Amino acid sequence: MTDVFQQLQADALQAFSAVKTAEDLEAVRIDFIGRKGRMAEAMKDLAGLSDDERREMGKHANDVKRMLEGAFDAAQSRVADAAKSERYGKEWIDVTLPGSTSAIGHLHLTTQGIEEISCIFSHLGFVRVHHPEVDWDYYAFESLNMPKEHPARDDWETFFVADGDSVMTGDLGKVVLTPHTSNGQVREMQKGKLPIRMISIGKCYRRQSSARHLSMFHQFEGLMIDEKVTVTELKGVFDYFVKRYFGPDRATRLRPYHFRFTEPSFELDVSCSVCNGTGKVNDVKCKLCKEGWLELGGAGMVHPHVLKAGGLDPEKYSGFAFGWGLERTMMMRSGINIDDIRTLYKNDLRFLTQF
Amino acid sequence: MNILASYHWLKEYIKTNLSPEEFAKEFSLRSMSVESIDDIGARCANIVVGDLLTIAQHPNADRLHVVTVNIGKKEVTIVCGGTNLVEGMRVAVALPGAKVFSGNGERREINLSTIRDVESAGMLCGPAEIGFDALQVGERSIWSLGSITDAPAGTPLADALGLDDVVFDVEITTNRPDAKGIVGLAREAGAAVNAKFSWEPTELLRGEGVSPISVIIDDKKGCRRQMAAVMSDVVIGSSPWWIQKRLVLNGLRPINAIVDITNYVMLEYGQPLHSFDLNAIEGDELHVRRGTSGEEIFALNGKTYSLDGHLVIADAVRPLDIAGIMGGENSGIKKETTSLVLVASTFDAQSIRRTGRALDLSSDAQTLFEKGLSVEMPAIALARAIELIKEICGGVVVGEVIDERVAPYEPKIFSVDFEKIRSHIGIDISDAQMKKTLTDLGFSLEKSGKVFNATVPYWREEDIEGEIDFTEEVARMYGYHNMPSVLPASRLPDGVDDASLVWEQWLKRVLAERGFVECFSNSLVSVADLQSYGISPKDALNVLNPLTADLTHLRPTLTPSMLRAIERNQALVPSAKTFEVSRVYIPREGDLPDERLMFLAGMYGIFDAEKTFMELRGLLEWIAARTGIAFTFERLDDENHWHPGRSVSVHSDGVRVGVLGQVSADFQEAFGIHRPVFLAKIDVEAFMPRMKLTHSYRPVPTFPSVRRDIAVLLDERSEFEKVRDVVCGSGALVRACDVVETYRGSEVPAGKKSVTLSVTMMAPDRTLTGEEVDTLIATVTRELALRVGGIVRS
Repeated sequence: MTDVFQQLQADALQAFSAVKTAEDLEAVRIDFIGRKGRMAEAMKDLAGLSDDERREMGKHANDVKRMLEGAFDAAQSRVADAAKSERYGKEWIDVTLPGSTSAIGHLHLTTQGIEEISCIFSHLGFVRVHHPEVDWDYYAFESLNMPKEHPARDDWETFFVADGDSVMTGDLGKVVLTPHTSNGQVREMQKGKLPIRMISIGKCYRRQSSARHLSMFHQFEGLMIDEKVTVTELKGVFDYFVKRYFGPDRATRLRPYHFRFTEPSFELDVSCSVCNGTGKVNDVKCKLCKEGWLELGGAGMVHPHVLKAGGLDPEKYSGFAFGWGLERTMMMRSGINIDDIRTLYKNDLRFLTQF
Repeated sequence: MNILASYHWLKEYIKTNLSPEEFAKEFSLRSMSVESIDDIGARCANIVVGDLLTIAQHPNADRLHVVTVNIGKKEVTIVCGGTNLVEGMRVAVALPGAKVFSGNGERREINLSTIRDVESAGMLCGPAEIGFDALQVGERSIWSLGSITDAPAGTPLADALGLDDVVFDVEITTNRPDAKGIVGLAREAGAAVNAKFSWEPTELLRGEGVSPISVIIDDKKGCRRQMAAVMSDVVIGSSPWWIQKRLVLNGLRPINAIVDITNYVMLEYGQPLHSFDLNAIEGDELHVRRGTSGEEIFALNGKTYSLDGHLVIADAVRPLDIAGIMGGENSGIKKETTSLVLVASTFDAQSIRRTGRALDLSSDAQTLFEKGLSVEMPAIALARAIELIKEICGGVVVGEVIDERVAPYEPKIFSVDFEKIRSHIGIDISDAQMKKTLTDLGFSLEKSGKVFNATVPYWREEDIEGEIDFTEEVARMYGYHNMPSVLPASRLPDGVDDASLVWEQWLKRVLAERGFVECFSNSLVSVADLQSYGISPKDALNVLNPLTADLTHLRPTLTPSMLRAIERNQALVPSAKTFEVSRVYIPREGDLPDERLMFLAGMYGIFDAEKTFMELRGLLEWIAARTGIAFTFERLDDENHWHPGRSVSVHSDGVRVGVLGQVSADFQEAFGIHRPVFLAKIDVEAFMPRMKLTHSYRPVPTFPSVRRDIAVLLDERSEFEKVRDVVCGSGALVRACDVVETYRGSEVPAGKKSVTLSVTMMAPDRTLTGEEVDTLIATVTRELALRVGGIVRS
């Protein structure tokens, strides 16, 4: 009997190691260890042995069977590996071909900037609002503590709107293309809903055009009004924005300044990325900044006259406002270094598809 | 408005050991921005005083000389092109290592060099080469230092001329003209960098006896104070170097001692002065009045101005001076002048400003006056000018100094509550600190119950308008950089983002995701572009003062901008998909224009008209489906604007909201575009209130649907919508019919097209069997033949 199993074992191991394909392997499996295979047949013969012999032979037969099953498993992985290798050998692509992409469009840099900046202020609970671009003098200037002919108005080279040859005029004065988004301040207060946390991003217009100045540009205006709003909170909002937008490496500075519609007023500076805030590149004066600082824009605590114009009691409410140029802010971060900022709005598709 | 402030000069009034950089930093943080620091000493490095010994013609160049110069320890040979060389002249010698200014503002380094075979050990400088452009010595002339310094040859130029200095370029905010003078700036700096400020005004020599002239203020609104002092026996030469130096460092050109002194005093106090030649004055009265019709002045800048309605200082017969802006040529100080009238005034800022704008004329004086100057400054400035003239030009004051005021000076007083200041800033600043800050800045405080009465110093009278201004003074001197950063923790607003902005952003993203490139055009367009698109300029608002002729009208539609963009791009980018989502400006009678959000998508240069149309239509349909609205389309007959065979109007909820189709040949040509342009333009605000991004749930079908594609031969002009209605009407189980492909090729007869349709069938209660599907398709086939003459090809 032992010989039978030994022979069977030898035959089976030989057969398993010889098979090359999954089909052959299955045939060999059925032949040797299938339900009606040679192993099963040989096991049947054990029935005729004495108890002792059967116990001993049975143990031997089981060892053989386990061994054959192991051999099958091994052959199966060998055959599968071989099949895989063969397939991989046949399948090949040229991985040096250039990458392709489905035709994806492009959002304008300005749109991207608007999205990003409104998102940052949205984290602080600021709500996006829209105010007119074509507005009354009252909202653009007068209600902002800038009475007619005040010299401060000179800082805003203003376009006047006409209907034909004469300037459009109404109860609230002349009609202008708003030179800043601050025209939304009193309008927002007049909605009569407090507290206010608004962010207004819109087009502004000034009579200027140069490599650094656009006649149409964007500003983002923030306004927060509630009881007991303080300078330190404006500082907090500013620092949060700068850290999120410019990154934690850039330093910030609040510097006193003068605007009619805020008191106190300041300008917000961010350290220059070109000279790292040192004001010098290779010992030569940095061309981009002023002594290491770039002006982000103006801000301040809303002037009591402006609060009054908005129908609010300055004894009870206080607030801060800021208005910064969007294009300028984007250029300050991005390192895009567009020589002439007017390129932004020339609609050259070769430019637009870069972003 | 900027001031160029010498650190040396400032230090005459404040005691500080801060380095220029430290000073600039501290000052910027509490006062005004120092925009740059110009190291004058460094400019003069390796430049020394030399004595010209010999001058010889250059052997190889007609216009050059070879000179020997004593530079102290040795003599050097230098090749020089100067035309004013004389032996014994004292000169500024730039030695190797010096950096001199060349004409374009760049600096170049001086080296030992050989010029036309002659070695040159340096260069003799003109003032412009050391950066003093204002000091004019003549074309190709060398700066002669003989009258300026007697320092021995070899002395560094900076030491010899007192130029071991730095100049701060400080931006003076419009509310602080008091700091546009060195004394005012030093006072401000004293408070900002905590340095002791000391200055005493010059005492005014009132003079005695009757003045040869009298002053009458006729326009009491335009002029609040007018002073005049007559001086005789003055001798007018050049001003001394110490005055010239300070003028030159400020970019002012020295002219003669009197003009230089009045300019110097303006730099010192920010108060302009003017001087007339006494002999040029007709009669014995000076009037401050409005100019009348026909009156003119030939001003110091060589131009003539008409003075009707403008404030002037006039004698008995004619205006002598455009008040506060510029004097007249005829009455100005000349070298021969021996008697003069010095005037100092306080003019109304708005009046000066209006005249400056009207005459398109500005000057240093005008820039100051239009900011609003203190009524107390004229006496101080006049006293100082008299003192300097006596010192430099000699002369005596004749008669009493005239001082006409329209009202006595009353200082402003405000009540100041320290508690309110603290709560406004948000930090705890002590009473003592606030008191010190305000006192340092010149305010005087007097306790009155719980608050203080603060008297405003005269130099701030125009600037301080209310209690809130004191908060600023305290806060800035405390230093914003010293305050903590705190995120606002108060109540939240209950508003939501403006809907038009949300949809604008959403639509832009949809377009970009579909391959469209966003254009961003100016809201202002040209008349030509409006007219090319058939819009009368009358139907758009215009700007009264356009910057350029091509940006004059507020666009009532986005289309002309888009067509212009396509025209500009077509040569380099032959085909593209573009879009703009922006506002247009629709005029409204008696009101601000309606700023409406418009959507415009364009495709140009693409030849398959049907596919192009389908893509734009698909875009609109997708937007509608996604936002819960519906668009319907109707063939459009508007041949002026749109191709009649390829355009539809777009409707939503029964209202026309836009157009989709090919731009008419006329407009395409009017814009110079060579290839077809398809546009989809939609007035977003017409349906915006109905748009939403939330969707209600519909159960997914339990049983699968079956899709079969069939090719149908149809007449060229049979319309898909009709075909689809036939297919879907063939049986309740036919759920959808879409077009897969349209083919017009060699196998398709002329006048026909082969359209591949996909037919989707589904039953709500079972999976359809093959036989059922075949039966349905057979019905579809029959119906197509019957109703639209379509032949289903096997």
